[in-house]
Formats: sequence, structure tokens, C-alpha cells
Amino acid sequence: MFPRITRTTMLTALTVFNLASIAPAQALDAAAIIKAAMDQWRGTSSHSTMSMTIHRPDWERTMVMEGWTAGDKKSLVRVLEPKKDAGNGTLLIGDNMWTFSPKVNRVIKIPSSMMNQSWMGSDFSNKDIARSADIIDQYHHSLLETQTADGHKVYVIQSVPKEDAPVVWGKEVLRIRDDYVLLEHTFFDQDMKPVKRMKTSKVGMMGGRMVALQERMAKIETKDEYTEFKMLSAKFDISVPGSTFTLSNLRNPRF
Amino acid sequence: MGIVFHLAWRNLWRNRRRTWLTAGAIAFSTILLVLWVPIQFGAYEIMINASLAVFPGHAQIQRPGYQEKPKIRNAIDNAETLAKKLRASNQFVGVATRAQGFALLSSGTRSYGAQVVGVEPVFESGTSSIPGLVKKGRYLSGIDAQEMVIGAALARNLKIKIGDEVTLIGGGKDGSVAAAILPVVGIFESGSNELDRFFSEIPLHTFQNIFSMGHSAHAIAIVGKTVEEQDSLLTALRQETKDRNDIVILGWEQLVPGLKEGIQVDKVSGFIFYGILIAVVVFSILNTFLMSVLERTREFGLMLALGSRPKRIAMLMMLESTLLTLMGLIIGMTIGSALVYWVHIVGFAYPGMEDLAQQYNMPGLSRLYPQLDLFNFLIGPGSIFIATNIVAWIPVLRIRKLEPVEAMRTI
Repeated sequence: MFPRITRTTMLTALTVFNLASIAPAQALDAAAIIKAAMDQWRGTSSHSTMSMTIHRPDWERTMVMEGWTAGDKKSLVRVLEPKKDAGNGTLLIGDNMWTFSPKVNRVIKIPSSMMNQSWMGSDFSNKDIARSADIIDQYHHSLLETQTADGHKVYVIQSVPKEDAPVVWGKEVLRIRDDYVLLEHTFFDQDMKPVKRMKTSKVGMMGGRMVALQERMAKIETKDEYTEFKMLSAKFDISVPGSTFTLSNLRNPRF
Repeated sequence: MGIVFHLAWRNLWRNRRRTWLTAGAIAFSTILLVLWVPIQFGAYEIMINASLAVFPGHAQIQRPGYQEKPKIRNAIDNAETLAKKLRASNQFVGVATRAQGFALLSSGTRSYGAQVVGVEPVFESGTSSIPGLVKKGRYLSGIDAQEMVIGAALARNLKIKIGDEVTLIGGGKDGSVAAAILPVVGIFESGSNELDRFFSEIPLHTFQNIFSMGHSAHAIAIVGKTVEEQDSLLTALRQETKDRNDIVILGWEQLVPGLKEGIQVDKVSGFIFYGILIAVVVFSILNTFLMSVLERTREFGLMLALGSRPKRIAMLMMLESTLLTLMGLIIGMTIGSALVYWVHIVGFAYPGMEDLAQQYNMPGLSRLYPQLDLFNFLIGPGSIFIATNIVAWIPVLRIRKLEPVEAMRTI
């Protein structure tokens, strides 16, 4: 998914490396697998189109969106369809998030108090979108088990947030295939009860790499309410101009 | 019977000072209870009225499940038509349709999340005090006017004044992006932190356009004559809406559950205090009677020897206790009712209360009036009467154990 930003700067990369030399081998493996999976998603840069379907028992809505990413800190998403919402965009730089609506022709910065609100009415919160890569440096990782499925090895990794990490979750459990495709991501609350789960239902080649083509996020209690992403096209490791990720480009699209 | 009564009365005045002291203790606690219970209930009434008057109203019509999970899609179809019908029935003091959503409000440099409510400007003042609380500027002018009123703290946070534009971005009913730019025409100050910080109102039709609501809305707020007439209000509402099975009617206890719980907690602590007060009175009575039985053991022995039956003596004692309690109660209730009546006429105010009421547009709040109802009035004296009569049995039971000869020998 577009905003799965790996926020490993040089510094955090070094920290991970340093930890690696003293941490048990298993912990190193778990953290390295997660980092590899995050990198697999976006490469150094990406340009993709995807559809997002918000499903409710009595209601459903599909949007088509175009997204750009560069490095692990910057991403831009713009709505293409439906026509009513075309042109609405979200820009992410680090932890900062801006939204643009052509109806009012204004760029608005999303305040931190709104980060727990739903993003575009989906089952993802703004925080999910902006901070999903926090999992690399804000969590302790451990490899729970290694399974085999469809001829692939699948690593089950438990990630527990560090004491001072600004996250609401008690822990997260990820299932990652040996080719670094994320198959499942479950979020647990502070009482260690599962709250919501993202599941990959289709994996395939796109833009020269193996990626999840279809993912669904649903609350554990209400399985008939979900948000589903489908990757329509993707290119990786392309050159995206730095001016893509600016407020003026969010307002007046040039890319 | 006549002679027993005569004896009891005479016995009471054998020790004047003790009788007066005991009767005084009863009278004093009776005054406290008779005066304070109605005032306490009067304060609850004011609390309830004040919190309901600001926004919730006495009852609301909503879609099932909206109260627990206010989703913008869970809206009443043709809500205005329904409200019009309720208004035409002339049974309700105030009826106002509202559409409610959550949006990001931005002044350009600053953004805050806030509740946005679409209201019928003409009718909203019948169910909410917010229109009257606009301190700067004015309230909304028409049902499709492009304007907005916001809370004072929110205006401060956004750094906007009357005439400035606010950008609103949220999610519409159909999932689309709801966005609009509206000028702020009024700033209200309700005194409620929550409302002043996170609350804004725009005209209903403007809301329905921005949030793609069509003719739907989320709530119809209703105000009846008084809060106490909740049951008849709900019955009337049910009667008027029986052709709509897509809605639920919620009373204020369901709309503001915290209010009732808070009152319940306060009631419990109040009743614990009254319980202690009654216990103290009861022990003083017990003491009086125990003393009087002990010092009259000789006399009782003599009466038994002369042929009085223990039952008759017990009756004498009970009569003494009842007479003493009644004396205290009558004095207490006379003074207590006079005081309650006086408070009922002039009201009960503490310094600053009037200013507070004016500031929050609640004229009824300037003075506290006791809630005059027979139950509130009689619960205190009644409890004292029953409790003292129960403990009076303790010394009385001693009489049955008395042996005439032995009793006459005690000093």
C-alpha cells in the first residue's frame, strides 16, 4: 500500500545494525525480515494506481487513487475516481500530513488530534497511513515460528512496542512470506485481544517485483465491514522529482 | 385507655428538662430533613434542566443505533417532514431537526476537529439555549444561509473573529469528501467546556448539501413542558410517530446517561448523611427511655404487684415514646415547613449564582427552589417516627422480665 513508509533513516539503520551485533540472532532475524518486507513494498521510490473499496453491510464505495512515494518519508496520493472526489489529495512528509480538496481549493494540515480519525472514510486511521513504518524502529520484534504454506516459508513475527513508543496497540503480529510479501498483519489492543487484521488475498508480480495485489483490512468483531485495496499498476525504483512532494504540487498537480 | 394516656402524659413531664432536650433533638433533625431533602431534589431538578436545555432536549428521535455509534450514514429519511408533523400536533414546546457530523475546521494556519451540527435556525432556540448564548455576532439567519456559528474556545484556538472564513473538511453521507468554506457570523459561549471547544452549528440545508445528506437528518430534539412529564412526553411521541418504524425515541436518561448516574451517586451520599442523622436521634431517644425505665423499676414493681399486667405497662411506655416523638416531630415540621415555604417564596441563592445563570442563558437557574412534593416532605419525619418506635421496644422488653418483689426492692 502506498503509504507504508519505511522511516529508517541512516541513523535508525545504524541503530538496527548496532543492535544486531549484540541482540540474539533470532531477534535480528525478525527485525531484518520486517525491514525487508517494508522495503519490498516501495523500493527507493514508486508510482502506482490502486483501488480502495470501503464495504459496509448496507453500503459500498470504491475509489481509484494514484500514489507516489520516495524514500521512506514522502508520499502523495490523489483520488482519480469517483468524479465527485477526483482531485482530493493527501501529502505525507515524515509525520506531517496535509489534505487538499478542490471543492474549497485549500490545503489543510491534519492536526495530531485528528490522526486517529478514519482516512477517507476507510478502516484505516490517518495514523495507520502516516505511521505504519514506525513498526521498524518503535517495536521489539521476535520470531514466533516459521510455517510452510504454498511452497513458501512463512515467518510469524510478534512486534511489541517499546516502552516509550507513541502507539495505541499492545502488540502486532505479522506473517511474512520468505519473498518478503506481507501476508497478514494483526493489531492487538493493550489487553492483547485482536482488534483488526489486514489480510493479503492475492500475491503477484507487478512492476518487476512480488507484491501483495489485494489486501483487506477488517475489524475482528465486524468482518462484514472492511476496506479492500487492489493494486492496479505499479512501477518501482523510478525517478520521482522532489517537487512532487510539495504543498504546491498537492494543490496544483504537475505530476 | 384514658388512664394510660393520662399516666403517660404525666410521666413525660416528670423530668421536664430531659423531655424537652429529647424533643428538641427530634425537632432539630426533623427541621434539617424537612428543609434539606426538598432543596436537594430541587437542586437535581435544576441540574437536569440546565444540562438538558443547552443542547440535548428532553427527548430525541434518532435512528436505532445512532446514540451508541453516531455514524453519518445512520440518518432519518425526511426528518424535516416528521418534525413538521410533530410541531403541527401542538403537544410539544420545542421540536427541532438536526444533522450531525464530525469535521476538520481550519482557519488556514490552524486546524481542529469539531462537531458540526446542521440546525433549523428558527426552531433550534425552542430546544437549545445555544442560539441565546451567542456573545459576539449573531445566530444563523436562514435554513440555507452559507454561514456558521462556533464555540468561543474553538474560535480562540482557530484564531478567528466574526466575518473570518472557516474551511470545513469531513466525510459526506455517501463517503465522498465534504468540503466547504463558510464565514463565521456568531461565536457562542455556553460555559460547557466541551461545547465551547468542539462545537459548531450551520443551517440544516447547508449541512445537507455539504455532507450529501439529501433530506435526511440524524436527530429530532424535543422539549416538553417540564422534565418531570417525561413519561407522558414519550407516550405522546410514540403516538405521533407510530407510522414510522425506522426510528427510536430516546428519553433524556438515555441521551445523557452520566447525568442520571451523577445524581444517583449524590443521592446515595445524601441518604447516608440522613441515615447518620436519624441514627443519632434514635440513640438519644433510646438513652432517654432506658434511663426512665431504670429509674422507675421500683414503680413498675409496685404496679405489677397491684395487678397491672406487663402488657399494660408496655403500652404505657410505648405511648410515652410515641408522644415524645410526635411532640418533636410536630415542632420540627412546623418550623421546617415554615422555612421550606419561605425558601419556596424567595428562593435559595448563593453569591454569584445569578450572574452565572445570566451568563449561561438559563433564567430558571438564578435561584434554587425546593421541590415541594409530599414524599420529599414526609420521608424524613416518617423515618424518624418509625425508627424511634422500633428502638423504644428495647427498654419495653425489659419490663416483661421484671419480678414484682425483686423490682420493688431495687433503689
